[in-house]
Amino acid sequence: MSQEFEPKIMAFICKWCTSAGADLAGVSRMEYPPNVIPIQVMCSGSISPLYVFSALSQGADGVLVSGCHPGDCHYMKGNYFARRRLALVKKLLEYIGLEPERFQMSWVSATEGVKFTQIIKDLVKELKPLGPQTKLRRNP
Amino acid sequence: MVSIANLQAEVKKLLQEGKIKYFIGYEKGPGLLARPAFIRKPEDADRLTWSPGCVHNLARFIQDEKRRRLREKNPDLRPIGLMVKGCDSRAINVLLQEKYIERQDVFLLGVSCEALGVVDEAKLNRLLDSARPLKVEFGEKETVKVLTDQGEKEFPAAEVLADRCLECPANFPVVADVLLGEKIKRTVSRPYQSIAAVEKMTVEEKWQFWQEQFSRCLRCYACRSVCPMCYCDECVADSIAYAVTAETTAEEKAQRARWVKRNPEPAENIFYHLVRAIHLAGRCVDCGECERVCPVGLPLRLLNKKLEKEAKELFGYEVGFDPNLPPLISCFRDNDPQDFIR
Amino acid sequence: MKRTGVFVCHCGINIAGTVDVKKVAAELAKHPGVAHAEDYVYMCSDPGQNLIIKAIKEKNLDSVVVACCSPNLHETTFRNAAKLAGLNPYRCEIANIREQCSWVHREMSRATPKAIRITRSAVERVKRNEALEAVSVPVTKRALVIGGGIAGIQAALDLGNAGYEVVLVEKSPSIGGHMSQLSETFPTLDCSQCILTPKMVEVSKHPKIKLMAYSEVQEVSGYVGNFKVKILKKPTYVDPDKCTLCDECTKVCPVVVPNEFDTGLTGRRAIYIPFPQAIPATYTLDDKACPGMFDTAIACGKCADVCKPGAINFDMKPEIVEVDVGAIIVATGYDLYDKALMAEYGYGKYPDVLDGLQFERLLSASGPTRGRLLRPSDKKEPKEVVFIQCVGSRDPELHWPYCSKICCMYTAKHAMLYKHHVHDGQAYVFYIDIRSGGKNYEEFVHRAVEEDGVLYLRGKVSRVFENNGRLIVWGVDTLTGKQVEIAADMVVLAMAIRPSRGTEELAKKLKIALDKDGFLAEAHPKLRPVESMTSGIFLAGAAQAPKDIPEAVGQASGAAAKAIAILSQDRLFHSPTVARVLRNLCTGCAMCVNVCPYEAISLKEGKAEVNEILCEGCGTCSATCYRNAIQVKNLTPLHVQEMIIASLGG
Repeated sequence: MSQEFEPKIMAFICKWCTSAGADLAGVSRMEYPPNVIPIQVMCSGSISPLYVFSALSQGADGVLVSGCHPGDCHYMKGNYFARRRLALVKKLLEYIGLEPERFQMSWVSATEGVKFTQIIKDLVKELKPLGPQTKLRRNP
Repeated sequence: MVSIANLQAEVKKLLQEGKIKYFIGYEKGPGLLARPAFIRKPEDADRLTWSPGCVHNLARFIQDEKRRRLREKNPDLRPIGLMVKGCDSRAINVLLQEKYIERQDVFLLGVSCEALGVVDEAKLNRLLDSARPLKVEFGEKETVKVLTDQGEKEFPAAEVLADRCLECPANFPVVADVLLGEKIKRTVSRPYQSIAAVEKMTVEEKWQFWQEQFSRCLRCYACRSVCPMCYCDECVADSIAYAVTAETTAEEKAQRARWVKRNPEPAENIFYHLVRAIHLAGRCVDCGECERVCPVGLPLRLLNKKLEKEAKELFGYEVGFDPNLPPLISCFRDNDPQDFIR
Repeated sequence: MKRTGVFVCHCGINIAGTVDVKKVAAELAKHPGVAHAEDYVYMCSDPGQNLIIKAIKEKNLDSVVVACCSPNLHETTFRNAAKLAGLNPYRCEIANIREQCSWVHREMSRATPKAIRITRSAVERVKRNEALEAVSVPVTKRALVIGGGIAGIQAALDLGNAGYEVVLVEKSPSIGGHMSQLSETFPTLDCSQCILTPKMVEVSKHPKIKLMAYSEVQEVSGYVGNFKVKILKKPTYVDPDKCTLCDECTKVCPVVVPNEFDTGLTGRRAIYIPFPQAIPATYTLDDKACPGMFDTAIACGKCADVCKPGAINFDMKPEIVEVDVGAIIVATGYDLYDKALMAEYGYGKYPDVLDGLQFERLLSASGPTRGRLLRPSDKKEPKEVVFIQCVGSRDPELHWPYCSKICCMYTAKHAMLYKHHVHDGQAYVFYIDIRSGGKNYEEFVHRAVEEDGVLYLRGKVSRVFENNGRLIVWGVDTLTGKQVEIAADMVVLAMAIRPSRGTEELAKKLKIALDKDGFLAEAHPKLRPVESMTSGIFLAGAAQAPKDIPEAVGQASGAAAKAIAILSQDRLFHSPTVARVLRNLCTGCAMCVNVCPYEAISLKEGKAEVNEILCEGCGTCSATCYRNAIQVKNLTPLHVQEMIIASLGG
């Protein structure tokens, strides 16, 4: 009997907004599936394309980068640079045939625990039918 | 029309007057294509030529000069002379944007691509069939003339030009100190036609296509070696050379992330090419050299062209036209698109 | 071989209820480099911390991971504990397995593996963490305040009274700002100058405050604690020490130009004192107005002829004064929106269409009509006055989207004061909403309506035009839905508040940001409202956003307190998790310089260099660098790569 596929999601979340929003989801005892492993960084602006490629290469079924809403960045403009840089990464990954659902971005503020919860739920729902991500996965 | 005699005379003068350290142009190669020529003495200027076989991006050689300067105790700081087509000149602009060179480091002899570009050797060979090409020249009215052992043949440029020339946004030098011949401008009706086929594919078709391509990669790094933008002393995608200088400590080497494994397995090859593509976004001038030199014929231009298109469409960013612009990913606009963000 | 200790907190049942903490500790004990792993019911308690301290000492641990609640809560606690045990605090990292794991999941069978991954990831990070020491620089114990309005005055006084030297720079010949032009202030109706001038005098007499009026900031370099400022001192051509304020010079000066202080309602001479209570109390020869100074380089010299003390010196030259300061407060205030852009209300066309500041001058006892309310065109008492609010504000299509905030209140004040001057007159106010949030503000508006019979009409005015010597105001009353036409004697426009002219240039010099409307941007809209994004530069008053006097004063004191927090220290300490340049790899492309929000990176000899005091460690530079040649300490690409592998592997 095969178990239902549970996607592994690597989430790069910024300390000031999304991680705080995820903390709020916790404090409010919201519930979302445990498929996401967070890595807290200082700013979404610090997410290099290499991190995204690396997560996929290490077998992530999905990658999420989440930061502050435009205008709210703790560092003023890091999220704007992330937006531009990662838009290109997304176009490139889709162009070589990676499913668009596998790399996503979101803006989640420190007050948006509900939004964070919903995004994780949606991501898991979208990634499940796709099955394991093997395209960019490195040979073990 | 660019007069080759003028070109030779110009370079001869520059060298005689000592205005440049040496000149990089083209000379007749062993086959159809010209080859890069390094002219150090005025009398050698007679070797220089200009033809549709001048495919190389000579901006690539700037890195060698830069490294030489850093190595030498008392380097000769005169500019190096460089012959630039449209794409070469745009590469110079990118290098200026990235402060890799200063404007006075190079003396540029600009040439417009007369028959609208340079040839694709493979295309021409197919058309020539058994004939052996001896010489290739610009013809009248957008044609390319080829002298072969079976006589002279003339082809419409559109049939024999390199694909990238058919999509080129500037077949004239956008920066030059001396312009040889006239500045011939033309517009391109389908600037991104080469990538249209891949763009139309379904997700799985795309993957099938690229997987097949990447699995053939030998990781010989010819694409990187020939690229005028790949001037890093150490490539993040292939950190084989952890020692960049004699002073690099073991600790520094240990601090480097090894992103890609060296073995040419598909997943590693993909990683390598993804990194190369994303690091060329907003920098690649589509000189097509990576694709031309690839021994297994990977369609590398298609990756770079895609990101060139996205940079233009998403951010209104065109590569290599303005040396004073901040590089693509080091600037933003408040209204950059974000419809892909939740 | 690394010797990392892992400490898994139960947090009562907060973690242990959903995560099998024993299993987490057991799994981590097997992880490479982990020399010790244990769990405890409350790690943050004293016994819990002692457990960590003991293990560090006994097992000779070189790094520590505490798997517990969010790092926002106890990172400091555990780093201090590590320090007590002799470990560098930056060798301690937190794995957040409560807020981001146990509290958001229900099944132990799935929450436990996730907690293990999060903790492994933290171990892989801490293994590579360097022992860091906080960086520090000395502080220049002097502040610069830019702008001598009420906000700048307050900030300068607070700083001076706290014992710090202050340089107060004001662009115009006198401090006092717009507040000195006002007649009365809401909601108390006390005389504006009466409450302002004592503060102005205090500034001029303060031993710690160096007032530089008629001066402008020209260049700013350096960073928090160590700014270098060049100030341009414009020539006044009058020696303030000799000037006795006899006023003989203005009597002979042949040149008349519009008087800025009276908002152009009166004229002044080329040599003038802005208003009698001006500080510094001296005359200024306006070289733009004096034709001799400007056009022919031969002044008529009449002023100098009559000046008995010989205070006038035509050879005075602009002077550059350099000062070192540790903190800067920007209080450059506001100007009213360009009235030329409100053609539909006939401003500029009809002399009796005024803006709010002009109306203040008409009301003022020191104003052009000496406190009698007479309209400019024929000096008659206006019997019907229409006040229009939100002129240029709250109009995203044509003008500015924001609310100018103070107009509701000052319009109520204007209407009320008008009634106090003209008892048989009628005041109308066109408004969109009345925003009277503030102490005693709501009551004040009610007083205008109930005691002074001001007629409020909810709606916008479409046009003002002249007919038979009266100003016809066409508007709509949206409450009744009816068109309204009022034949008025005077119309007063509550123009939008704009950052004062020159704010943009100054912001560039200071390298601080503007918001989308051109006001100075605060570091955080809620939590850091008086700080700019640049460390050591603070904001006060209407330059940051429209605000009334008490708010401006409050923000000024807040900014002063923030500045004092810097000036009171001998050295400034800064988090050491800042960017570092690997010089061997840097090609000097300056992309990191472009993206740094703090101007912390510069090129030196063709390589990037980080100012560790300015860097906040956001890491945007590192993601921009193609070469990974700039990296944030303890969160380098290698750290992240190992964290990714630990998070996803196995």
